[in-house]
Amino acid sequence: MTDVKLPPIAEGVDKASVSYLHHNAGDNVKSGEDLIEFVTDKATFNVPAPVSGLLKEVLVSEGDEVKVGQVLARIE
Amino acid sequence: MYIEKRRPSWLKKRLVLSDNVKQMKSILSGVDTVCESSLCPNLNECYSRMFATFLILGANCTRACSFCSVDNNVPKAVDPKEPKKIVSIVKKIGLKYVVITSVTRDDLPDGGASQFARVVRSLKRYRQDIKVEVLVPDFNGNKKSLEKVFDAGPDIFGHNTETVKRLYPLVRRGADYTRSLDVLRAARDFPGRHLVKSALMLGLGETDDETIAAMTDIRKAGCDILTIGQYLRPRMANMPVSRYLKLPEFEKFKQIGRGLGFKYVSSGPFVRSSYFAEEAYFKCINAPGVADERVCGIMMLARL
Repeated sequence: MTDVKLPPIAEGVDKASVSYLHHNAGDNVKSGEDLIEFVTDKATFNVPAPVSGLLKEVLVSEGDEVKVGQVLARIE
Repeated sequence: MYIEKRRPSWLKKRLVLSDNVKQMKSILSGVDTVCESSLCPNLNECYSRMFATFLILGANCTRACSFCSVDNNVPKAVDPKEPKKIVSIVKKIGLKYVVITSVTRDDLPDGGASQFARVVRSLKRYRQDIKVEVLVPDFNGNKKSLEKVFDAGPDIFGHNTETVKRLYPLVRRGADYTRSLDVLRAARDFPGRHLVKSALMLGLGETDDETIAAMTDIRKAGCDILTIGQYLRPRMANMPVSRYLKLPEFEKFKQIGRGLGFKYVSSGPFVRSSYFAEEAYFKCINAPGVADERVCGIMMLARL
Protein backbone atom coordinates (compact mmCIF):
# COMPACT_ATOMS: atom_id res chain seq x y z
CA MET A 1 0.00 0.00 0.00
CA THR A 2 1.40 3.42 -0.98
CA ASP A 3 0.32 6.61 0.80
CA VAL A 4 -0.31 9.65 -1.38
CA LYS A 5 0.70 12.79 0.52
CA LEU A 6 0.42 16.49 -0.25
CA PRO A 7 3.97 17.48 -1.23
CA PRO A 8 5.49 20.86 -0.27
CA ILE A 9 4.15 23.70 -2.42
CA ALA A 10 5.85 26.82 -1.01
CA GLU A 11 7.11 27.79 2.44
CA GLY A 12 4.39 30.34 3.03
CA VAL A 13 1.73 27.87 1.91
CA ASP A 14 1.39 24.94 4.27
CA LYS A 15 -2.19 24.12 3.41
CA ALA A 16 -4.40 23.96 0.35
CA SER A 17 -8.03 23.24 -0.45
CA VAL A 18 -9.14 20.18 -2.38
CA SER A 19 -10.90 21.51 -5.48
CA TYR A 20 -11.39 18.38 -7.58
CA LEU A 21 -11.01 14.62 -7.25
CA HIS A 22 -9.93 13.15 -10.59
CA HIS A 23 -10.60 9.61 -9.34
CA ASN A 24 -12.73 7.78 -6.82
CA ALA A 25 -11.90 4.80 -4.65
CA GLY A 26 -12.00 1.64 -6.72
CA ASP A 27 -10.48 3.24 -9.83
CA ASN A 28 -7.31 1.92 -11.40
CA VAL A 29 -4.76 4.71 -11.66
CA LYS A 30 -1.49 5.06 -13.53
CA SER A 31 1.71 6.45 -12.04
CA GLY A 32 2.08 10.15 -12.91
CA GLU A 33 -1.54 10.88 -13.78
CA ASP A 34 -3.46 13.57 -11.91
CA LEU A 35 -5.17 12.30 -8.80
CA ILE A 36 -6.31 15.25 -6.71
CA GLU A 37 -6.50 18.96 -7.55
CA PHE A 38 -5.80 21.68 -4.99
CA VAL A 39 -6.09 25.43 -4.93
CA THR A 40 -3.99 27.85 -2.95
CA ASP A 41 -4.40 31.62 -2.95
CA LYS A 42 -2.06 31.93 -5.90
CA ALA A 43 -2.39 28.88 -8.09
CA THR A 44 -3.97 25.50 -8.79
CA PHE A 45 -1.98 22.29 -8.43
CA ASN A 46 -2.49 18.63 -9.19
CA VAL A 47 -1.02 15.85 -7.11
CA PRO A 48 -0.07 12.92 -9.33
CA ALA A 49 -0.31 9.23 -8.44
CA PRO A 50 3.13 8.12 -7.19
CA VAL A 51 2.57 4.53 -8.39
CA SER A 52 0.18 2.60 -10.64
CA GLY A 53 -2.46 0.44 -9.00
CA LEU A 54 -5.89 0.29 -7.43
CA LEU A 55 -7.01 3.45 -5.66
CA LYS A 56 -8.01 1.79 -2.42
CA GLU A 57 -9.05 4.83 -0.38
CA VAL A 58 -9.54 8.56 -0.91
CA LEU A 59 -9.28 10.24 2.47
CA VAL A 60 -10.27 13.79 1.46
CA SER A 61 -13.34 15.40 -0.09
CA GLU A 62 -13.74 18.44 -2.30
CA GLY A 63 -13.63 21.58 -0.17
CA ASP A 64 -11.41 20.04 2.52
CA GLU A 65 -8.43 22.01 3.69
CA VAL A 66 -5.36 19.79 3.97
CA LYS A 67 -1.84 20.31 5.17
CA VAL A 68 1.48 19.60 3.50
CA GLY A 69 2.48 16.03 4.38
CA GLN A 70 -1.09 14.88 5.06
CA VAL A 71 -2.10 11.49 3.63
CA LEU A 72 -4.72 12.06 0.90
CA ALA A 73 -5.24 8.61 -0.54
CA ARG A 74 -3.89 5.08 -0.60
CA ILE A 75 -2.96 3.06 -3.66
CA GLU A 76 -2.59 -0.73 -3.66
CA MET B 1 -8.03 31.57 2.91
CA TYR B 2 -8.74 33.59 -0.21
CA ILE B 3 -9.19 31.52 -3.34
CA GLU B 4 -9.81 32.56 -6.92
CA LYS B 5 -11.70 29.38 -7.72
CA ARG B 6 -12.27 29.70 -11.42
CA ARG B 7 -8.80 29.51 -12.80
CA PRO B 8 -8.49 28.40 -16.42
CA SER B 9 -7.21 24.93 -17.23
CA TRP B 10 -3.82 26.15 -18.45
CA LEU B 11 -3.10 27.63 -15.03
CA LYS B 12 -2.78 24.31 -13.27
CA LYS B 13 0.54 22.85 -12.31
CA ARG B 14 1.28 19.22 -11.63
CA LEU B 15 3.27 18.91 -8.42
CA VAL B 16 6.47 16.91 -8.54
CA LEU B 17 6.83 14.14 -5.98
CA SER B 18 10.53 14.29 -5.28
CA ASP B 19 12.75 14.02 -2.22
CA ASN B 20 14.81 16.85 -3.71
CA VAL B 21 12.17 19.35 -2.60
CA LYS B 22 12.54 18.36 1.05
CA GLN B 23 16.31 18.33 0.71
CA MET B 24 16.34 21.80 -0.85
CA LYS B 25 14.09 23.18 1.88
CA SER B 26 16.45 21.88 4.50
CA ILE B 27 19.61 23.19 2.75
CA LEU B 28 18.02 26.60 2.15
CA SER B 29 16.63 26.98 5.66
CA GLY B 30 19.28 29.53 6.74
CA VAL B 31 18.77 31.97 3.86
CA ASP B 32 15.93 33.76 2.10
CA THR B 33 14.78 32.79 -1.36
CA VAL B 34 12.43 34.70 -3.62
CA CYS B 35 10.86 31.33 -4.38
CA GLU B 36 9.43 31.28 -0.87
CA SER B 37 8.99 34.99 -0.20
CA SER B 38 6.96 35.48 -3.37
CA LEU B 39 4.93 32.27 -2.86
CA CYS B 40 6.11 31.23 -6.30
CA PRO B 41 3.91 28.61 -7.98
CA ASN B 42 7.04 27.11 -9.56
CA LEU B 43 8.78 26.40 -6.25
CA ASN B 44 7.99 22.71 -6.13
CA GLU B 45 9.15 22.23 -9.74
CA CYS B 46 12.35 24.29 -9.39
CA TYR B 47 13.33 22.73 -6.05
CA SER B 48 12.80 19.28 -7.55
CA ARG B 49 15.41 20.16 -10.15
CA MET B 50 17.61 21.62 -7.39
CA PHE B 51 17.32 25.25 -8.45
CA ALA B 52 16.52 28.25 -6.28
CA THR B 53 16.85 32.04 -6.47
CA PHE B 54 18.49 33.73 -3.50
CA LEU B 55 16.95 36.83 -1.94
CA ILE B 56 19.67 38.93 -0.34
CA LEU B 57 19.58 41.98 1.95
CA GLY B 58 16.86 40.52 4.15
CA ALA B 59 13.25 39.55 3.51
CA ASN B 60 11.81 42.99 4.35
CA CYS B 61 11.29 45.43 1.51
CA THR B 62 11.17 49.23 1.82
CA ARG B 63 8.58 49.44 -0.96
CA ALA B 64 5.09 47.96 -1.11
CA CYS B 65 4.33 47.09 -4.72
CA SER B 66 0.75 45.98 -5.06
CA PHE B 67 1.59 42.77 -6.96
CA CYS B 68 4.17 41.46 -4.51
CA SER B 69 3.88 39.31 -1.39
CA VAL B 70 7.32 40.14 0.01
CA ASP B 71 6.96 41.76 3.46
CA ASN B 72 7.05 45.54 3.66
CA ASN B 73 8.63 45.95 7.06
CA VAL B 74 11.52 47.65 8.81
CA PRO B 75 14.58 46.23 7.06
CA LYS B 76 17.32 44.49 8.99
CA ALA B 77 21.01 45.44 9.11
CA VAL B 78 23.04 44.10 6.19
CA ASP B 79 24.59 40.75 7.09
CA PRO B 80 28.34 40.81 6.37
CA LYS B 81 28.35 37.00 6.40
CA GLU B 82 25.71 36.76 3.68
CA PRO B 83 28.11 36.26 0.73
CA LYS B 84 29.84 33.42 2.59
CA LYS B 85 26.53 31.80 3.52
CA ILE B 86 25.38 31.86 -0.09
CA VAL B 87 28.63 30.37 -1.38
CA SER B 88 28.38 27.58 1.17
CA ILE B 89 24.80 26.75 0.11
CA VAL B 90 25.68 26.95 -3.59
CA LYS B 91 28.48 24.45 -2.86
CA LYS B 92 26.11 22.14 -1.00
CA ILE B 93 23.55 22.11 -3.81
CA GLY B 94 26.23 21.98 -6.49
CA LEU B 95 24.79 24.95 -8.40
CA LYS B 96 26.76 26.13 -11.40
CA TYR B 97 24.22 28.79 -12.34
CA VAL B 98 23.13 31.11 -9.56
CA VAL B 99 20.44 33.81 -9.56
CA ILE B 100 20.71 36.53 -6.93
CA THR B 101 17.96 39.04 -6.30
CA SER B 102 17.03 41.30 -3.41
CA VAL B 103 14.34 43.36 -1.79
CA THR B 104 14.47 47.12 -2.45
CA ARG B 105 16.58 48.87 0.20
CA ASP B 106 15.86 52.58 -0.15
CA ASP B 107 17.22 52.95 3.42
CA LEU B 108 20.78 52.10 2.38
CA PRO B 109 22.94 54.83 0.78
CA ASP B 110 23.86 52.59 -2.17
CA GLY B 111 20.57 50.65 -2.16
CA GLY B 112 22.49 47.46 -1.34
CA ALA B 113 24.65 47.52 -4.49
CA SER B 114 27.85 46.75 -2.55
CA GLN B 115 26.28 43.62 -1.12
CA PHE B 116 25.31 42.46 -4.63
CA ALA B 117 28.93 43.07 -5.71
CA ARG B 118 30.29 41.15 -2.72
CA VAL B 119 28.04 38.17 -3.39
CA VAL B 120 28.92 38.07 -7.11
CA ARG B 121 32.66 38.31 -6.37
CA SER B 122 32.49 35.63 -3.67
CA LEU B 123 30.74 33.25 -6.07
CA LYS B 124 33.28 33.93 -8.82
CA ARG B 125 36.13 33.38 -6.36
CA TYR B 126 34.63 30.06 -5.31
CA ARG B 127 34.38 28.86 -8.92
CA GLN B 128 35.68 30.74 -11.92
CA ASP B 129 33.28 29.03 -14.32
CA ILE B 130 30.18 29.69 -12.24
CA LYS B 131 27.53 31.78 -13.97
CA VAL B 132 25.89 34.48 -11.89
CA GLU B 133 22.70 36.30 -12.78
CA VAL B 134 21.66 39.32 -10.75
CA LEU B 135 18.16 40.74 -10.65
CA VAL B 136 18.45 44.14 -9.03
CA PRO B 137 16.10 46.88 -7.80
CA ASP B 138 16.32 50.31 -9.44
CA PHE B 139 18.77 51.72 -6.81
CA ASN B 140 16.78 54.94 -7.29
CA GLY B 141 18.58 55.31 -10.58
CA ASN B 142 21.94 55.87 -8.83
CA LYS B 143 24.65 55.35 -11.49
CA LYS B 144 27.39 54.70 -8.93
CA SER B 145 25.37 51.92 -7.33
CA LEU B 146 24.70 50.35 -10.72
CA GLU B 147 28.38 50.51 -11.63
CA LYS B 148 29.30 48.71 -8.43
CA VAL B 149 27.18 45.79 -9.59
CA PHE B 150 28.43 45.90 -13.22
CA ASP B 151 32.05 45.99 -11.99
CA ALA B 152 31.60 42.76 -10.04
CA GLY B 153 31.10 40.98 -13.38
CA PRO B 154 27.72 39.24 -13.34
CA ASP B 155 26.96 37.18 -16.45
CA ILE B 156 23.42 38.47 -16.63
CA PHE B 157 22.27 41.82 -15.33
CA GLY B 158 18.52 41.82 -14.80
CA HIS B 159 16.10 44.53 -13.82
CA ASN B 160 12.39 43.89 -14.13
CA THR B 161 10.22 46.49 -15.77
CA GLU B 162 7.23 44.46 -14.47
CA THR B 163 4.41 46.39 -16.16
CA VAL B 164 3.46 49.02 -18.74
CA LYS B 165 4.04 52.73 -18.26
CA ARG B 166 0.44 53.69 -17.39
CA LEU B 167 0.14 51.14 -14.58
CA TYR B 168 3.32 52.10 -12.70
CA PRO B 169 1.57 54.28 -10.07
CA LEU B 170 -0.88 51.45 -9.37
CA VAL B 171 1.48 48.45 -9.56
CA ARG B 172 4.91 49.81 -8.54
CA ARG B 173 4.46 52.75 -6.20
CA GLY B 174 7.85 54.40 -5.65
CA ALA B 175 9.22 53.15 -8.94
CA ASP B 176 9.37 54.98 -12.24
CA TYR B 177 9.02 53.53 -15.74
CA THR B 178 11.64 55.81 -17.29
CA ARG B 179 14.05 55.18 -14.42
CA SER B 180 13.74 51.42 -14.91
CA LEU B 181 14.47 51.81 -18.62
CA ASP B 182 17.48 53.97 -17.68
CA VAL B 183 18.75 51.13 -15.48
CA LEU B 184 18.64 48.78 -18.49
CA ARG B 185 20.29 51.42 -20.68
CA ALA B 186 23.11 51.88 -18.15
CA ALA B 187 23.65 48.10 -18.17
CA ARG B 188 23.83 48.07 -21.96
CA ASP B 189 26.28 50.99 -22.06
CA PHE B 190 28.66 49.62 -19.42
CA PRO B 191 31.62 47.89 -21.02
CA GLY B 192 31.10 44.44 -19.51
CA ARG B 193 30.31 40.97 -20.82
CA HIS B 194 26.93 40.76 -19.14
CA LEU B 195 23.69 40.22 -21.00
CA VAL B 196 20.78 42.47 -20.06
CA LYS B 197 17.48 40.94 -18.99
CA SER B 198 14.04 42.20 -18.02
CA ALA B 199 10.57 40.84 -17.28
CA LEU B 200 6.93 41.82 -17.69
CA MET B 201 3.83 40.53 -15.92
CA LEU B 202 0.60 40.51 -17.90
CA GLY B 203 -2.98 40.45 -16.70
CA LEU B 204 -2.73 43.61 -14.58
CA GLY B 205 -5.09 45.65 -16.76
CA GLU B 206 -2.77 46.61 -19.62
CA THR B 207 -3.86 46.65 -23.25
CA ASP B 208 -1.98 44.70 -25.91
CA ASP B 209 -0.80 47.96 -27.48
CA GLU B 210 0.61 49.08 -24.15
CA THR B 211 2.41 45.74 -23.76
CA ILE B 212 3.94 46.06 -27.23
CA ALA B 213 4.97 49.66 -26.49
CA ALA B 214 6.68 48.50 -23.26
CA MET B 215 8.42 45.64 -25.09
CA THR B 216 9.63 48.11 -27.73
CA ASP B 217 10.95 50.50 -25.06
CA ILE B 218 12.71 47.65 -23.22
CA ARG B 219 14.34 46.44 -26.43
CA LYS B 220 15.39 49.97 -27.37
CA ALA B 221 16.99 50.32 -23.93
CA GLY B 222 19.33 47.49 -24.91
CA CYS B 223 17.73 44.48 -23.28
CA ASP B 224 18.79 41.06 -24.65
CA ILE B 225 16.46 38.69 -22.80
CA LEU B 226 12.80 39.25 -22.01
CA THR B 227 10.52 37.06 -19.93
CA ILE B 228 6.73 37.45 -19.96
CA GLY B 229 4.38 35.75 -17.50
CA GLN B 230 0.85 35.83 -16.09
CA TYR B 231 0.35 37.94 -12.96
CA LEU B 232 -1.08 35.79 -10.16
CA ARG B 233 -2.45 37.41 -7.03
CA PRO B 234 -0.44 36.09 -4.09
CA ARG B 235 -2.82 37.22 -1.33
CA MET B 236 -6.13 39.00 -0.91
CA ALA B 237 -4.24 42.19 0.01
CA ASN B 238 -2.58 42.25 -3.42
CA MET B 239 -4.19 43.66 -6.53
CA PRO B 240 -6.64 41.38 -8.36
CA VAL B 241 -5.87 39.67 -11.64
CA SER B 242 -7.46 41.71 -14.42
CA ARG B 243 -7.53 38.79 -16.85
CA TYR B 244 -5.92 35.45 -17.62
CA LEU B 245 -4.15 35.53 -20.96
CA LYS B 246 -4.59 32.48 -23.16
CA LEU B 247 -1.65 30.40 -24.35
CA PRO B 248 -1.79 31.69 -27.96
CA GLU B 249 -1.54 35.24 -26.60
CA PHE B 250 1.72 34.40 -24.82
CA GLU B 251 2.97 32.86 -28.05
CA LYS B 252 1.98 36.01 -29.94
CA PHE B 253 4.04 38.20 -27.59
CA LYS B 254 6.96 35.80 -27.93
CA GLN B 255 6.89 36.24 -31.71
CA ILE B 256 6.56 40.01 -31.38
CA GLY B 257 9.57 39.99 -29.03
CA ARG B 258 11.61 38.04 -31.52
CA GLY B 259 10.60 40.50 -34.22
CA LEU B 260 11.78 43.36 -32.01
CA GLY B 261 15.23 41.78 -31.90
CA PHE B 262 15.47 40.25 -28.41
CA LYS B 263 18.06 37.46 -28.36
CA TYR B 264 15.75 35.33 -26.25
CA VAL B 265 12.11 35.64 -25.22
CA SER B 266 10.42 33.32 -22.76
CA SER B 267 6.66 33.77 -22.62
CA GLY B 268 4.05 31.67 -20.84
CA PRO B 269 1.65 31.78 -17.90
CA PHE B 270 4.12 30.43 -15.33
CA VAL B 271 7.20 32.17 -16.71
CA ARG B 272 9.02 34.25 -14.11
CA SER B 273 12.31 36.08 -14.62
CA SER B 274 14.38 33.36 -12.99
CA TYR B 275 12.30 30.38 -14.18
CA PHE B 276 14.71 28.17 -16.14
CA ALA B 277 17.10 31.13 -16.08
CA GLU B 278 20.09 28.97 -16.97
CA GLU B 279 18.32 27.77 -20.09
CA ALA B 280 17.65 31.35 -21.25
CA TYR B 281 21.32 32.19 -20.74
CA PHE B 282 22.52 29.02 -22.45
CA LYS B 283 20.27 29.56 -25.47
CA CYS B 284 21.13 33.22 -25.63
CA ILE B 285 24.89 32.81 -25.68
CA ASN B 286 24.41 30.19 -28.36
CA ALA B 287 22.55 32.70 -30.55
CA PRO B 288 24.28 34.00 -33.68
CA GLY B 289 26.87 36.60 -32.84
CA VAL B 290 27.17 35.67 -29.19
CA ALA B 291 28.24 32.02 -29.47
CA ASP B 292 30.56 30.75 -26.78
CA GLU B 293 30.93 27.01 -27.19
CA ARG B 294 33.10 26.57 -24.13
CA VAL B 295 30.51 28.07 -21.83
CA CYS B 296 27.75 26.14 -23.63
CA GLY B 297 29.62 22.93 -22.84
CA ILE B 298 29.78 23.81 -19.18
CA MET B 299 26.10 24.64 -19.14
CA MET B 300 25.27 21.30 -20.72
CA LEU B 301 27.19 19.58 -17.94
CA ALA B 302 25.42 21.68 -15.35
CA ARG B 303 22.10 20.36 -16.58
CA LEU B 304 23.14 16.68 -16.50
